[in-house]
Amino acid sequence: MIQKKFQCPKCNTIITCSGEFGDVLKVRCSSCGAIGKATFKAPIKTDDVAIEVSNLKKVYSNLVAVDNISFCVKKGEVFAFLGPNGAGKTTTVEMIESIREPTEGTIKIFGKNIKTSFNEIKEKIGVLPQEFRSFERLTVKETLIYFSKLYEKRADVDEILQLMDLIDYKKMLYKNLSGGLKQRVGVAISLVNDPEIVFLDEPTTGLDPKARREVWDVIVNLKKKGKTIFLTTHYMEEAEYLADHIAIIHKGKIIAEGSLDELTQKYGKGAVLHIKKCSNGNAAEILKENGFLVTSEKNGDISIKIDYKEKVLEVLAALRHACIEYDSIDIRRSNLEEVFLNLTGAKLSEETL
Amino acid sequence: MKPRIIINDFVASMKGWMRSRGTIFWSIVFPIMLILIFGAIFSGGDNPTYTIYVQDLDESMWSENYINTLKNISFLKIENIPREKNITDFIKEKDLRGALLIPEGFGEKVEQSFYDHNITVNLLFFFDPSDQGSISVVRSIISSSLQETNLLLTGGRHVIGLEQVSTITTKFKYIDFFIPGLIGFTIMQICIYGSIERNTKFRKDGILRKLQTTPITRTEWIFAKMLFMLFLSFFSTGIAVIVGILAWGVVININIWMITIIVANSFLFSGLGMIIGRFVKEEETADTAAGAITFPMMFLAGTFYPLQSMPQFLQDFAKILPLYYVNEGLRNSMINLDYGKATYYTVIVFVFACVFFIAGVFLTKWKED
Repeated sequence: MIQKKFQCPKCNTIITCSGEFGDVLKVRCSSCGAIGKATFKAPIKTDDVAIEVSNLKKVYSNLVAVDNISFCVKKGEVFAFLGPNGAGKTTTVEMIESIREPTEGTIKIFGKNIKTSFNEIKEKIGVLPQEFRSFERLTVKETLIYFSKLYEKRADVDEILQLMDLIDYKKMLYKNLSGGLKQRVGVAISLVNDPEIVFLDEPTTGLDPKARREVWDVIVNLKKKGKTIFLTTHYMEEAEYLADHIAIIHKGKIIAEGSLDELTQKYGKGAVLHIKKCSNGNAAEILKENGFLVTSEKNGDISIKIDYKEKVLEVLAALRHACIEYDSIDIRRSNLEEVFLNLTGAKLSEETL
Repeated sequence: MKPRIIINDFVASMKGWMRSRGTIFWSIVFPIMLILIFGAIFSGGDNPTYTIYVQDLDESMWSENYINTLKNISFLKIENIPREKNITDFIKEKDLRGALLIPEGFGEKVEQSFYDHNITVNLLFFFDPSDQGSISVVRSIISSSLQETNLLLTGGRHVIGLEQVSTITTKFKYIDFFIPGLIGFTIMQICIYGSIERNTKFRKDGILRKLQTTPITRTEWIFAKMLFMLFLSFFSTGIAVIVGILAWGVVININIWMITIIVANSFLFSGLGMIIGRFVKEEETADTAAGAITFPMMFLAGTFYPLQSMPQFLQDFAKILPLYYVNEGLRNSMINLDYGKATYYTVIVFVFACVFFIAGVFLTKWKED
């Protein structure tokens, strides 16, 4: 049994509770009665770690591009490194890929320091560099064969073409492909050695929405195949759609890290249940008495913060119990834009522009 | 080094090259065009006025009459060579294209021919056969004027003939001079621009960053590329030699000096391309920088014209250009067969190649700053 302390989001009272790793428990604040969720996260086991970055720093003359960052990427997850242009995303990923030399810090891939074991690690990783363009006068299939022959371990090129939906284009010269197809070929190249980790540096930058969606589908497919994916992006919707774990980087520092739910709960408004036109003028008071966190109330319209899915049903049950009727409900969840705004005071989309 | 990886890269380079119309044009069609065009231009001649230097050792009425006949041809200008001068020394000293000598006893033999029909006499025409510009025209004019004189003197019987004397020992044509220069120049172009493409375009496109994350090493990659450059160098040399032989009958000697210079030339200019690619990051700027180096070298290193026809300061300047040594080395090994000079130039080209290639390899970086 593990004991953990949590802070009540409403009255800041410290609540102590016990549980096992993996448990998600409902907790009621002893002071204000607010009900919340306590998650007992298991620490990451060494065997589960694909990438471990410790105190990484990169300094150019007087500019600190990456400022003492540390994080772990678990095997099999999609890890998104989200931040505006110039935040230090590519510098970080290129240090992990051994393209750039870190000023300070250590990087381990599968427990091995890349400084000493990168030749061995190369066989296990696949990389799509930022703004990558391949050999113009090779066909798609020839390009894949070229890169696959550089490795000892090789995936079946035809299978990759199938997986990436490139079969129809295999005889086309690379230079004649559209931007979206070129990017898909770039991702395909990163798979020729059947890597355990795939690094995708801004894979959808400059693509139209349709092509972007196609690349997303590819990444979802890769995840289904159990690949660990390290994705850098400045598109928040891309991170929201694809990532299991998101690290937000701003001015060389990681300013927040966690799953989408964790980030929106911690740094945004989380999920909010909006109830329209309640029949009883005291509905808000009744809900408060039941321990729900009412965030706004106006002319019978009530907003309640929802920190776990079941809470919606609990609110509706409380209303039914008090015989309160309503017109409609809808749930709105905070997004990463809001998280970024709360953390930095600026919009991610504007910083990117 | 893994041969599998090197062969893989070589094959990919070959495929890319064969599919590039531009590259095929510059490495095959362009040199062929130059050989055919320059060969045609310098096999003919279109100078509207010609100067003939004449030395009259006979100083008879008959020689004076013949000189007057030449003077009457409107587009000919006659200059005298003093009697006391040695005509071959005079030609060299004045850098003349050719000269006509009327030998002593010319008039006497003409007079004797009226009684003895077996007597003939020859004028001597000294010329430099490597100068194909106007010399053939001058020679035809002299021949025609002699036919006319024979007709006037004897009614058409051959009395006065023309003996041709080359001012250089071997009979070279302009195309013999041109082909080695073209080979050196083409290899320079292929290697410099190929190197620049690898070091700027591949860097810009992220190919170098990508390769760095794969098992291929920088040494294997450079080795594979050099193998490809050597293939292109020998291929373009082969094309130039074959066209030269078939179109213009050039006699070319293939020997160890020629092969060594071609190999060293490929390494030399690939190294120079790497150096340019290291310091000039933008592809377009790098092309301009390469042009700024190769273009003057093309004209100043004796590729298309003999250095002797240039002012002295340009001749001195040529000696700091690597292409000059390549051109001279190839000419001496392929055409002149002067193996002493060929060895001398080969050694210099080899030293240049070592310096530029080693510097290029050290300066070629895959890792980003």
